Amino acid sequence: MVRVLILIAAIFLGFAVQAINAAEAPDPYKLRAGIDISFINSSGYTSWTEGFVGKLRYDDSNDGLMISRAFADFEIQLADTFKAHTVLEAYDDDIGSTVDFTEAYVEWRPVPQSENRYRLKLGLFYPRISLENITAGWTSPYSMSYSAINTWVAEELRTVGAELSVFRRPAMFGGAHTIRLQGAIFYGNDPTGSLLAWKGWSVHDRQSRFGDKLPLPPLPVIQPDSLFDDQDPYVAPFLEIDDRAGYYVNVEWRFNQQLLIRAMHYDNRADPTADEGGQYAWATKFQHIAAHAVLPGDWELLFQWMTGSTVMGDVVNGIGDIDADFDSMYLMLTRAYNRHRFSLRYDKFAVTDNDQTLQDDNSEDGDAWTLAYFYEYSDKVSIGAESLSIKTDRFSWQYYGLDTTRTEKQFQLSIRLRFGN
Amino acid sequence: MIGLFVLLFIATSSFGSDIDIFVIDREGRPVADVAVYALRLDGQNDLPAPTANAVMDQIDKQFVPHVLVVQTGTAVEFPNSDTVAHHVYSFSHPNKFLLPMYHGEQHPPVTFEHSGVVTLGCNIHDHMLGYILVVDSIAVAKTDENGKASLSLDNPQDYEINIWSPRIRDRDEALSKTVVTPGSPEPEVTFHLAKKLNPPHDRQSRSTPWSEY
Repeated sequence: MVRVLILIAAIFLGFAVQAINAAEAPDPYKLRAGIDISFINSSGYTSWTEGFVGKLRYDDSNDGLMISRAFADFEIQLADTFKAHTVLEAYDDDIGSTVDFTEAYVEWRPVPQSENRYRLKLGLFYPRISLENITAGWTSPYSMSYSAINTWVAEELRTVGAELSVFRRPAMFGGAHTIRLQGAIFYGNDPTGSLLAWKGWSVHDRQSRFGDKLPLPPLPVIQPDSLFDDQDPYVAPFLEIDDRAGYYVNVEWRFNQQLLIRAMHYDNRADPTADEGGQYAWATKFQHIAAHAVLPGDWELLFQWMTGSTVMGDVVNGIGDIDADFDSMYLMLTRAYNRHRFSLRYDKFAVTDNDQTLQDDNSEDGDAWTLAYFYEYSDKVSIGAESLSIKTDRFSWQYYGLDTTRTEKQFQLSIRLRFGN
Repeated sequence: MIGLFVLLFIATSSFGSDIDIFVIDREGRPVADVAVYALRLDGQNDLPAPTANAVMDQIDKQFVPHVLVVQTGTAVEFPNSDTVAHHVYSFSHPNKFLLPMYHGEQHPPVTFEHSGVVTLGCNIHDHMLGYILVVDSIAVAKTDENGKASLSLDNPQDYEINIWSPRIRDRDEALSKTVVTPGSPEPEVTFHLAKKLNPPHDRQSRSTPWSEY
């Protein structure tokens, strides 16, 4: 209850700031705040957010009417070519403090001297992966729960470092095409991969904040006197453990607002034998490809595919103590009719366990269907409904006496309130 | 005095000549929003000082118009009709400029003293794109949706009619034609483009704009 009160106080504080800004000329500030009030009906295993194995954010003893999200997305133009961007997210759960940052960075946007434009970001921010999370507060306009890929991005991925982008719109094509190259060097993200191996893929809308401690299932291998008993019962995914920087490179081609294609290579370059303060470093790398196309009839098709691997512990004969490959893809079809939007998404995901470590089979195989609808009543109010069904085969569930195949379902009704300039 | 006016009237009407210009694409369809201008073939484009300012507005995070054609020396106003800030720039040599435009701030118009294409961008909204074509001519126009533009040529000279658009990919030689005025036997000039046009610039009209994330 106290948490709810703090949450409400934080939201009112947000409104107060906004009201002050609105009273004067709002520029060069941009504050956008949002609250999602939801009715959720969830069935499945007890949620991973409660420290167990369920893939959803909620479960049948942890659902009903609630504030499922509250955020404040604030941008300020510090100078003509410098801006700062912070996103605060509030959650009423036991994973971290009530309010914390999901992103906080400064961006230098030098005035272009040629067709090449440069952008330099410094701080804490999402790598350019998701096609779904494109509105303020990293919100998806298509559905409430993100695809498996972007749910994992929300859980365990964040750049804590520097990212340089260069992009150009060649005049010879009349400005219709944009090509972009990005490279980043980052610290943090060493424990990234823990949750993907030990819990597996998920489909939900909870974004980890900088200080969050994401609960792990009660894994046999992290119990006292087990192989990884130094592991805390949680993952703090944005820590630096081995003092080795990671990197990613991303290329993108965009044709007006008709077609967008991205490809990324990511490697956190972690030392899989390092650990510190209850957290292990996981050597995690992946490739990512994404495409967004506007089809005839104003239908839009979104596609993302990710394949990678994560390794932790001693590596013998090329196999780590914990060694897993992960793969996921989704296809989403979406269309807006005036103020209505319908989206249908199919997710497929897998983890392949490559090691022989006892009591730690992390293999899984699954898919998910998500059907979502939003009605935009006004700029400030939308109403949405979502039906989600995720079916998983996961061997390790038998460690807890559970069926290894389970379909988890969730229905969600939400009112999204949005404020700001 | 009246006689002088009459004389001037006769003079202008006898030398003056309207020419219609048509721009047709490879498939025979009219091309709108093409800048059209006439240059004197004798190179004596001694121009009167521009009398009126031109306007390149920012509406719904777009430059309006997308293409503006002005005489060299014209002052162009950037009023910013949006409630958000823009940071308009051009890196086009030698018409470079930078115009931070926060809401409610006044700023002087920009005078373009050099002919050429000025590509406009906004450093805050990367998708914004606009063009100002600066030419040594008072005879400037843009084609309408029928691909038609009209120029008034007042001097008894040979002219070169030129067209320009960011969508046109034809070679420069195909984009200018010589006409003789006044009394030219052909009151219209048609440009048949040979190459496929670049696609038009998106107007960002979708309910869900594509993001910068």
